[in-house]
Amino acid sequence: MSEPAKKQLEEHPLVPVTGIVTKIIDETPDVKTFHIKFENGRPFTPMPGQVAMLSLLSIGEAMFSVRIVDEDHLEFSLKKTGIVTDALHEIEEGQEVGVRGPYGNGFPVDLCKGKDMLFIGMGIGLAPVRTMIYHCINNREDYGKMQIVYGARSPQDLVFKEDLLENWHEVPNCSVDVTVDRGDDEWTGSVDFVPPFVEKLAPKPENTIAIICGPPIGIKFTLPVMEKLGFTNDQIITTLEMRMKCGIGKCGRCNIGSCYVCLDGPVFSLEQLKTMPNEY
Amino acid sequence: MKILDKSKLKDLLNSLSGEAQVFAPVNEDDVIKFQPWTDGKEVDLSSNALLPPKDLLFPQTETMYRYTTKGMKAEVAEVAAGSEKQVIFAIRPCDVRSFLMMDDVFLTKGYEDDYYKNKRDNTILISLGCKDPEPTCFCDSMGIDKSESEHADIVMFDLGEQLALDAKTDAGKALLDSLSELEDGSADKPDTAECIIKVEPQGLAEKLAKMFEHPYWEELSRKCIGCGACTYLCPTCHCFDIRRKNVGEEGFQFRCWDSCMFSEYTRMAGGHNPRPSKKERVRNRFLHKLQYFPERYDKVACVGCGRCLAKCPVNMDITRIIKELGEVAVNE
Amino acid sequence: MMDIVQKMRNKAKELLEQEEVKLVIGWEKGTFWYQSPPMFITNPDDADRLVWDQFCINNLSKYLLDYKHLDGKIALFVKGCDARGINRLLQDQQINRDKLVILGVPCPGMKDAEAAKKAKENQVDQLPLAERCADCTTPNPMVFDELMADEVVVAEIDETKRFESVLQLEEKASDEKYDFWKSQYDKCIRCFACRNVCPACNCRECCFDLAEPEWLGKRVVTSENQFFALTRAMHVAGRCIECGECERVCPMDIPIMSLNKKIIKDINNLFGDYDAGMDLEDKPPLGKYDENDPEEFM
Ligand SMILES: Cc1cc2nc3c(=O)[nH]c(=O)nc-3n(C[C@H](O)[C@H](O)[C@H](O)COP(=O)(O)OP(=O)(O)OC[C@H]3O[C@@H](n4cnc5c(N)ncnc54)[C@H](O)[C@@H]3O)c2cc1C
Ligand code: SF4
Ligand code: SF4
Ligand code: SF4
Ligand code: SF4
Ligand code: FES
Repeated sequence: MSEPAKKQLEEHPLVPVTGIVTKIIDETPDVKTFHIKFENGRPFTPMPGQVAMLSLLSIGEAMFSVRIVDEDHLEFSLKKTGIVTDALHEIEEGQEVGVRGPYGNGFPVDLCKGKDMLFIGMGIGLAPVRTMIYHCINNREDYGKMQIVYGARSPQDLVFKEDLLENWHEVPNCSVDVTVDRGDDEWTGSVDFVPPFVEKLAPKPENTIAIICGPPIGIKFTLPVMEKLGFTNDQIITTLEMRMKCGIGKCGRCNIGSCYVCLDGPVFSLEQLKTMPNEY
Repeated sequence: MKILDKSKLKDLLNSLSGEAQVFAPVNEDDVIKFQPWTDGKEVDLSSNALLPPKDLLFPQTETMYRYTTKGMKAEVAEVAAGSEKQVIFAIRPCDVRSFLMMDDVFLTKGYEDDYYKNKRDNTILISLGCKDPEPTCFCDSMGIDKSESEHADIVMFDLGEQLALDAKTDAGKALLDSLSELEDGSADKPDTAECIIKVEPQGLAEKLAKMFEHPYWEELSRKCIGCGACTYLCPTCHCFDIRRKNVGEEGFQFRCWDSCMFSEYTRMAGGHNPRPSKKERVRNRFLHKLQYFPERYDKVACVGCGRCLAKCPVNMDITRIIKELGEVAVNE
Repeated sequence: MMDIVQKMRNKAKELLEQEEVKLVIGWEKGTFWYQSPPMFITNPDDADRLVWDQFCINNLSKYLLDYKHLDGKIALFVKGCDARGINRLLQDQQINRDKLVILGVPCPGMKDAEAAKKAKENQVDQLPLAERCADCTTPNPMVFDELMADEVVVAEIDETKRFESVLQLEEKASDEKYDFWKSQYDKCIRCFACRNVCPACNCRECCFDLAEPEWLGKRVVTSENQFFALTRAMHVAGRCIECGECERVCPMDIPIMSLNKKIIKDINNLFGDYDAGMDLEDKPPLGKYDENDPEEFM
């Protein structure tokens, strides 16, 4: 880790440090993963579930889940949806970008210790989930059984294929189940929407924490299934998105009631969400 | 206590200018605003400034840093430097109080905003006690002593032909001692009239926590035209946007005030907007002031300055709203 | 004015009770005696809060855009200028005439609320008229379903009075003009009240709100403010109904009407006299082609 960069981000929390994009992975037609190298080591060590602002200095910044690759590299996976993400999808390896963070609370890694972990990711929602999956893999002995469920619109839309189809199958005591909404000629896996797919897999709620991330609509339809399976609100953890500008609880943009998603989130248990105004 | 003849006010401000940049209320083109003092301007103490002095700690437009981009290269060139010393002259007690709320936002909860902090640390406040509140003022209902500001460096009273100044902090004392225009003296604090409008915001936050879905908000919001007048004139509103401006290979990142009353404020990529209509936006503004801010920082985010009440084009009246909210029935 | 008020209340109540309309838009008393802000009535019992006095200055027509998708009819009270606003919105195809019940209230002229702040409630008669009402030639609604009172006599207003501020500005040298507008629009805080209140500003997506392309930078500085000032004024050119709302709502007291009127005056000189929103069939000069249009700028 780079101490000067870390110090700079502490003293000027709204000013990015720069790094170089060393690798770009085409995940799907509209998702790319970027590895960013920092000259003297990465500027911070994000907890799983934390986020950071990634910027093209002349275009703008936006908030994304961030994952540690190694001592010098951070990783972001971006879906192309607007000004900043469109521009970032155009860049090539060697491009310098700005990064500031880490922001937010992250997943409750300690609370999850000793528990079985159920991970449900939908679309690009696998990006935050994956940071926690990696944490569990790297600290395998701290966590019980791992069960990974992923759904995408089509086989072309599967993100992190290497992990989903290969790497994670090597992990001890870990299952991986993948489904798509619509299959194609080559697809031999499951074709199903995530909620019924989860229902059929019937994960057990005992001593389990479920982390569910994806588009709001996907989460909305998965929650009743979870309830049916016997999961209680405090066993279900998700992440929220609100529009963000500062990331440090100052600009006032990301509030849901008196809570700021950038600071107090983006990770919330369903139990917490029930106490918050329904305005996200 | 020191006494100043009002005829020497300009001399005083000129002397102060030797120490720091002085900002004083000046009427220009029919708007009273804290302006950088230069000899020849006229200080206007007749009523509080229309634009709150928050601008001096949190400018409406503020450069954050410069950068250069060239091909694949990108470099953050310069982080906006610290601030010069400044004196805010004749700031009213309500606005002094608003700075405490700005402090909560910008200086607490894990992050210090260095742009704000640099200015705040370099600012000396000379407050002016209010004698005749405007019909729109209701600061005394918000727990503010309008005769004197407990958080200013120097408090000042209007004695008619003279001003009385009293230091409250070491910095204030040092400043007063350095000013030769002042004479030692004593004076009684002038009487202050009561505000006409009275409200009781105490305890409202708990009730509001149960009122998110109340039909009141829909009715209330109908007349709002969604402009930013109320938020921009409010000394406690602090929302900002971050944008950038490019000129060739160089550019700069800046922040600027933004308003939760604007329709695109919370609109996300893909078009989803958690606050899609006036109802949600008006509700957010008032809940932010009366429930969310108290929950987060233990203060009601309104100092009773009455600016929104004076300038809202459709007479959206926070005092009336506080009263109505106190009265409406909520189903538990 | 008292029996007019009663008539208005009865009418509102009747329309709501008989479920002819879902909503009535009018005015009610505000915080101070010199304020009569907009009021929205859905419950017939609330109709008794309606008022009609010389402070009902808010133009109500723009609110119709909020209810484009309302399932049912809306009744609204209109002064002459509100009625022109309705014509504006009809001509711009923003609203549907069939969904409106227009209740005309001939207008005696509204009083200057700023002057009222310094006066007493029993001095209303002595108060000057609001600036925009002083030269109003259209106090009687030109589009309505029913009138709440007899039409008022229209005062003779000569053109010099209407364009007084413009004529004064035209006297200035260009540098002076620039200094004048610079210092005025340097005050602008970009609250967009002037745009939001304006019945002619009815684009579904305003160019000032777009992030891409970013026509208007968000910095509040001279250059961006002037771009905003001119663009706003030009976007309502030939369509401004002279209701004066933009200038009234501007918290920074910017003389926006002088800019609007300068453009109106120029358009009148170029294309012949035209008063926007008076006649539905008479299209705005910049929105239609005529063989006799002047060509000097082409
Ligand atoms: C906590 C959090 C974590 C996220 N993690 C990821 C991730 O790992 N991968 C991914 O692809 N996307 C993620 N997103 C969504 C991502 O931030 C938006 O897609 C992105 O901001 C869109 O920016 P844009 O400029 O391309 O879009 P535009 O629509 O052009 O947006 C313009 C500006 O609005 C703001 N904005 C718009 N939408 C959002 C949004 N949903 N959230 C925050 N700000 C927004 C940004 O400031 C942006 O610069 C995350 C969002 C949040 C809040
Ligand atoms: S409350 Fe008034 S000032 Fe505020 S946005 Fe609405 S109309 Fe504008
Ligand atoms: S809400 Fe209104 S009265 Fe309260 S501090 Fe803000 S501008 Fe002043
Ligand atoms: S109303 Fe006045 S201050 Fe607000 S944007 Fe318009 S001109 Fe600027
Ligand atoms: S520009 Fe001003 S005067 Fe003209 S229609 Fe719009 S609000 Fe009315
Ligand atoms: S992004 Fe600024 S407060 Fe959350």
